[in-house]
Amino acid sequence: MRNPWTRTGNYKTSYKQDTTIFTTYSEQASLIVFLVGMLVLPQFLSRHSMQILDLILIYALAVLGLNIITGYAGLINIGHAAFLGVGAYTAALVSPYLPFWAVLPVSGLVAALAGAVVGIPALRIKHLYLAIATLAFQIIFEWGVGHSPALEQGGAMAMPRVVFLGYKVGFKNHHYFWYYVIFVVLVLLAFAFRNLLRTRWGRALVAVRDNDRAADAMGMDPGKTKVFAFALGAFYAGVAGALYAYWSRAVVIEDYSLAISIKFLAMAIVGGLGTLVGSFFGPAFLELLDINMESISHLIKAVYNPPGVDVASAVRPLAFGLAIVLFLIFEPRGLANWWRLLRSYFRNWPFKY
Amino acid sequence: MKNKRTLWALAAVLAMGFAAAEKVHIMWSGAITGPTSDAGKYYAQGIEDYCNYINDTGYVAGVEFVCEVRDDQYNNANTLRNFEEAVDRGDPIFLGYSTGGTLQLKPLIQEVGLPFIPASYHIGNIDPPDNDYIFLPIPSYSEQVIAILEYIAKTTPGAKVAMVVHPSPFGRAPVEDAKKAAAELGITIVEVQEASKNLDNTATLKRFENKGVQYIVYQNVAGPVATMIKDAQRLGLNIKHAGAHYAGGPDLLRLAGPAAEGFLWVTSYYMPDEDNDGARFVKELGAKYGRPADTIESVHYPSGMLAAAVAIEAIKEAKDAGKKISPETVYEALLKIDWPNKLAVGPVTYSKDDHVGVDMLRVLEAKDGRFVPITEPFSSQLFRKVHYGK
Repeated sequence: MRNPWTRTGNYKTSYKQDTTIFTTYSEQASLIVFLVGMLVLPQFLSRHSMQILDLILIYALAVLGLNIITGYAGLINIGHAAFLGVGAYTAALVSPYLPFWAVLPVSGLVAALAGAVVGIPALRIKHLYLAIATLAFQIIFEWGVGHSPALEQGGAMAMPRVVFLGYKVGFKNHHYFWYYVIFVVLVLLAFAFRNLLRTRWGRALVAVRDNDRAADAMGMDPGKTKVFAFALGAFYAGVAGALYAYWSRAVVIEDYSLAISIKFLAMAIVGGLGTLVGSFFGPAFLELLDINMESISHLIKAVYNPPGVDVASAVRPLAFGLAIVLFLIFEPRGLANWWRLLRSYFRNWPFKY
Repeated sequence: MKNKRTLWALAAVLAMGFAAAEKVHIMWSGAITGPTSDAGKYYAQGIEDYCNYINDTGYVAGVEFVCEVRDDQYNNANTLRNFEEAVDRGDPIFLGYSTGGTLQLKPLIQEVGLPFIPASYHIGNIDPPDNDYIFLPIPSYSEQVIAILEYIAKTTPGAKVAMVVHPSPFGRAPVEDAKKAAAELGITIVEVQEASKNLDNTATLKRFENKGVQYIVYQNVAGPVATMIKDAQRLGLNIKHAGAHYAGGPDLLRLAGPAAEGFLWVTSYYMPDEDNDGARFVKELGAKYGRPADTIESVHYPSGMLAAAVAIEAIKEAKDAGKKISPETVYEALLKIDWPNKLAVGPVTYSKDDHVGVDMLRVLEAKDGRFVPITEPFSSQLFRKVHYGK
């Protein structure tokens, strides 16, 4: 490579180059700058902004999991919030006995086990039928929690306050502390996600998605691959669920309902199915859209409030629905595609072609 | 010239008044859209109108209330965000909404010590742990259900009762207390069913009929109740229906129509067509602020007003005592409050051990398309015994 800092075209000549994560030094440098920026970001944000940022990152982790199942493996999953719930309830049960850093992987593993069980029907069914099977899991989860006295029948299970290296996490520093925990976990799992496609298991996911019979003929096991996809995606969701439990300080069934599963799907679609950056863009876009629409609805209410028609309140759900429909129609590849186009533009700049 | 001077003097007085008015924020976070927004939107309007009324009348001298209603869309993450914003701003009190949202916030409410008045009358809100700062405006669902069982036991000794509850902590909370109370009252709870989205309840109702059920008691929202009582009417069953606060009311009449006739409903609020100060006040306020008839007729409208009124009354107590308005002083004021309000059937009183404001309830019956009271205000005799064991 003549100039290792930039490239204006595709000059890959080997498989090794093809699977490389960073093709130029500038990509590495920009990632390092980005990560350092994220590390110092809390210095410039209010507690309130940190709260929103934490939520976006937790949702991003959950959407990464959904992107493994639905994006990579092509298995429609409308019970993803239930995997989060499994992780959250596991966290609530084990957190009195384990430090938080041990609670997170344990919650992920229990959710992965649940994911593997849910993945079993994927051996025999697919497409819409599989979607219904995941919906069944969502309903069974909600019913099961609702009838379990050990889980307060869906009522609140308080999470203990965390003490880390003698540092007590209280109201004032709660979102700052959890930001760094979420950030570290997210970076690790995002790297794992990025590397997944460089492994035989990751490539098998995509092969099975594109044509499971062809994948079978080429020596892959579609059944195991699908169960693996569910287990791995649920692991991500389980860890996200445990983080959500700590972040929200209590576990309540309503946070893991069908509506939240639909929201995750919307985030994955808006972000761009099967993409790493899309898993961040989707949650950020929809959460910030909702918050901004809330402000706009207050403004509308102040200037235009006809009796009998609550125009202001209608703005938020309308914007949410409209965003999804517009993305499906005009940009089904999601925000990740805009990011790709933007990067291409700057990569070739100042040359247009 | 003289007129000019008078105007200047008036303007100066007004300016001083505005400058001196302390802005006190009260935030409500609830569902104006999304699940249960059929109740939440009226509740929010009640808060807004009561707050405007207080500001318009200058009820608390030197204080201008800024009441913010936030649509959390029944999403706990939004509720949490709103609550923390109120804490950061230093609001002296917070008005909440759902059972799930309140239960989730409990540990945080306890940690930050911000008084909290939810629209959910779930007993778990005021049961330990982390219950010091949560105050219910009227008796809990558990107490409401036991009150209706007491009424049933009095009118139909030895009655067979089925319970139909919402599949959530909101619905399930009263069940155990109701079973204990039924045993004390000599009535039988033959079955407890959960229902929220059933489109047809024929099988359930026929089973109830086979078991000789005479009453169905609901701890649910009006929608599923309406579906079930319409099914019961269609099947020609001789079963009476009764329910707690959110199960009945004008919403049920609207949804169920003639099938609601005879429905027994327990609540602490007045009906808009009653001839008393409370009902007149609600109607006047609704008319003053241009609310449509469905708002004024909804029981959630005065419910929202009462929540705002309790908050404002506590702030007034703190202010009148010469204290700085803060969560601590408002909390102290709440613990001493004894306010003979006209929005509900009894005075609002709290103490360290009693976090229920209005202790009285009435049973109302749907007659000719409206709910009419059939009892005087009363308190449940058994609730404390079965729930607290005293």
